[in-house]
This record gives sequence, structure tokens and C-alpha cells, in this order.
Amino acid sequence: MSDIKVLCKLSYKLAAARMKARYRKTFAGFLWVVMSPIIVFVVQSLVFRHILKIEIQDYSLFLLGGLLPWVFISSILEMGVPILVNASELLKSFKLSPTVLVLSQAIDNFVNFIFAYLILLIYTVFTNTVNVEGLIYFPIAALVLFIGAAALTWLLTFLNVFYRDTRFLISFVMSVMFFLTPIFYPVEYIPEPFRWTVNINIFYLLIAPVRACTHDFELVQFFQMLSKSFGLSIFLILISRFYWLRKKGEFYATLV
Amino acid sequence: MQHLSDDLLLDIKDLNFYYRLDTFKAHSFKDLIVSKFSFSFTSWFSPRENLHILKDINLEVYKGDRVGIIGVNGAGKTTLCRLMAKMLIPQLGSVKSYGEVRAIFNPSVAIIPELTGRENAYLLAELLFSKLPKYQIDEIANEACEFSELGEFLDSPYNLYSKGMQVRLFLSVISAKTCDLLILDEIFDGADEFFQKKMAKRIKKIIEDSGASIMVSHSLDKIRDVCNRLLILDNSSLIFDGSVEEGIIVYKSLKN
Repeated sequence: MSDIKVLCKLSYKLAAARMKARYRKTFAGFLWVVMSPIIVFVVQSLVFRHILKIEIQDYSLFLLGGLLPWVFISSILEMGVPILVNASELLKSFKLSPTVLVLSQAIDNFVNFIFAYLILLIYTVFTNTVNVEGLIYFPIAALVLFIGAAALTWLLTFLNVFYRDTRFLISFVMSVMFFLTPIFYPVEYIPEPFRWTVNINIFYLLIAPVRACTHDFELVQFFQMLSKSFGLSIFLILISRFYWLRKKGEFYATLV
Repeated sequence: MQHLSDDLLLDIKDLNFYYRLDTFKAHSFKDLIVSKFSFSFTSWFSPRENLHILKDINLEVYKGDRVGIIGVNGAGKTTLCRLMAKMLIPQLGSVKSYGEVRAIFNPSVAIIPELTGRENAYLLAELLFSKLPKYQIDEIANEACEFSELGEFLDSPYNLYSKGMQVRLFLSVISAKTCDLLILDEIFDGADEFFQKKMAKRIKKIIEDSGASIMVSHSLDKIRDVCNRLLILDNSSLIFDGSVEEGIIVYKSLKN
């Protein structure tokens, strides 16, 4: 069995075991994990549409495509980045690839994202006009989002082992980026001279193809967004791997 | 030294391993920024400081070798074992292993403490023996659970276990299957006296049945009981490689 296949198998098993441990005692645990992004969605939808009067057709679909991927990325970073430091005893006990722990956390968060997304999608299908062709491409957009978010988490998780304030910096950066990234407003709201910034905003590049599936789907534009997102994901994987190979020698000594 | 067979399982040549001290000076981005702005001019020209953990190690392990490693704390025993297990990469020299290597450094760690002991045993078996088919992993986990004699406790949450119970379960799983090269780093601590005897017998059997084994221990009795070859590490160097009894005399003279 190839190493990548073993890595995927172990990550899946660990993610399933972690979810089993979390949801065993109470179904409410599962409900909360899925419901919390839904509640955020409902509140933001009401505030932006009815109080701030954002004028976008099918705003629920627009917000669904942007907000839920954002919640997925922020939750995977929040839960994934400290995972190696928290599991230091386990990692030092026997040879276990740190990537398995990071990837299992990513799978865990991705499952929650898919459940919340589907629940909201069913609701919005009844209240908005959904382009079915776009929905067909959702799995591939979601998969690229998963790869990109997991690769970003992988890099920051290793960084957090060497610089322990990484997780606090991320929390700060995420709170700022939420307003700087076109999640609850369209790109067109950004003044023309600054619109180029979306092309270097990694969060926007990862989220855009997912949003394109549910809002204003257009095939050529979708594949342009998808290729940018995929290119970014590969770039993040390569950087993470380079950083890991460079710092591997000091990894276990730093992992106190 | 005369070897029991010609089957080489581990070949270490001119191994040197050190940590860059600047890695440990900055544990956060804050420290990093402060250190970058508070450098002295001479620091530009001073060589990078390294902490040498292992110097010029040459070692071959053949099938049938049961190697004990002793040395005072900080001599580099655990680092050498981690290098053998490919958990670390040497800066100079090479470590080549032939066949399946399994290394254990801590026998009382949980994979997911909220799960039961039985579930943790299955998960540990999955992680340790990931290349085996599922039915064999199930067999290993079942046999280990039975051997651990934890009875009804097996279905209680692992985080309620005493350290002795954790060690029982963990050791039962890791000692369930042979491999080409087994590396055990001070794993006998923690289990109760009755179980220690039972486990020592099982570990001895697994050591005998594995291709070769490397055992780090501070207990000279255990070394005498299990090993047929002894290495002594002192001041980061391998100062003795030979028979157990001769090695113990050298070690005692060092301590005196």
C-alpha cells in the first residue's frame, strides 16, 4: 500500500474515532457543531439584508456560498493549528506522521461543513432560484477547498510548534480578514483601485469556486476560479512540505 | 564483534546530529522579532551555535542481535533511537534500515482519551500496524485486550485508567506482533509488579521472535536478561560496542 493511501486511511480512521468520542454521549454535540454555522448564517443574513440593506439578488444563496466555507476555514485553523502541540506526548511515543493528526482534524471539520451546507442548501432551494448545473460542480469545488484549507492548516500547525503564538496571530488575522474578504459583500463593493487585493487573498481564492456553484454560476468563470484555487492549494502543499523537511530535525526536540 | 548472522538490518555511518541553538532561543514570533532587533554587530560574523547530541556514530545491527543501550541521562540514547526509527534526520552521515522498524518511546499514552480502552487498543493497532488488512488488525487488538486482563475496564473511558492500566493496555498492543527491528526506549516503567513479570516474558518473546531488537534501559538486570550485545553512549559518542558483561564493567567504571 502506498504511503499516501496509508496516510489517508489513518486520517479517516482517526477522524471517525474523534467524531465518535465527541458525539457519543449526546446528539446535542453534533447538533451544536452543525447548528452553530447555521445560526451565524441566519443572523448575518438578517442583519446584512434587512438592516444594512445589501442589495444582492438571492442574498441567502450568496451568503451561503461565502460564509459557510469561511466558517470551515476558520474552524479548521482554530482546531487544527494547536493539534501537534496538544498531542506532543502521542507524537513522541511512537512513529506517527504528524500529517495524520492534521488531516484527521481537517476531515472532521469538513464533514461538519458539508452537513451544515446541505441543511442550508435544502432551505435556500425553497426560497431562492438555484442553478442546478452549478450544484453539479459543488463536490469538486468543495474538494479543492478542503485540500487548500488542509494545506494551509498543515503549514501553520508546524509553524505553531516552533512559534507558539502562531495560533493567537491567526485568530487576530482571521477577525480582520473576515471584513477584508468579500464574504458577505460582493467583490464589486471593493473600490476599483483596491480590487486587485482579492487576487492575493488566499481565503477569497479558496472560497470563490464554492460560492460560484450556488450564486451566478457561469462555467468558464467557475473553472478560472477553480484553477486559481487549485494552483494555490498545490503551492500551499509544496511550501508546507518544504518547511516540514527543513525543520523535521528539530521538530521532536521543540515539541515539549 | 562477531554477529549471529549476515543479514544486515540497520547500517549507521558517520552519524552526527545536532540542534541549532537559535531554534530554541525564539519560541514565539515576539521572541523572534525582539532577537532580530537586539542583535549585536559581532553576531553577524560569529558562527551559528549548535548543540551536538551525537558525534561520529558508526553501527551495524544484524538479524539475531539483541542490543542494549545504556548511558547517563542526556547521553543521546533516545535521539539515537529516534534517528534509527527515521523520526529525525541526521545533519551528517546516514541511517539505513532494511525491513520493518517499530519504535516505542512511551507506553502510557492514549490516542483519544475519551474513547474506551478497547477502542483505543483498536486505534493503536491501526496506527502501529497500518499496512495490515483489517481482519489482522482486529485479531491483534482482540488478543491484546485479552492479554491485558483489564476485563470490564476495557469498556470504560481510557481517561479514567490509572497509569498502570494504561501501560498494561499499550504494552499488550505493541507486543502483539513481531517486526524486523524492534526499538524499545525505557518502556518497562509504570506497570504493576505482577503484570511487569507477565509483560517482561511477553516482551522477551517478541524480542526473540523479531529480527533484531534495540532496548534502552537503566536496569542492568533487564539488559542482562534480554540482550546479547551492549552499546554505551557517553558525551554524545559511542564509547563501547561489545558483550553485555564487559560493557557493564566499563559502564560501572565510568560511573565511578
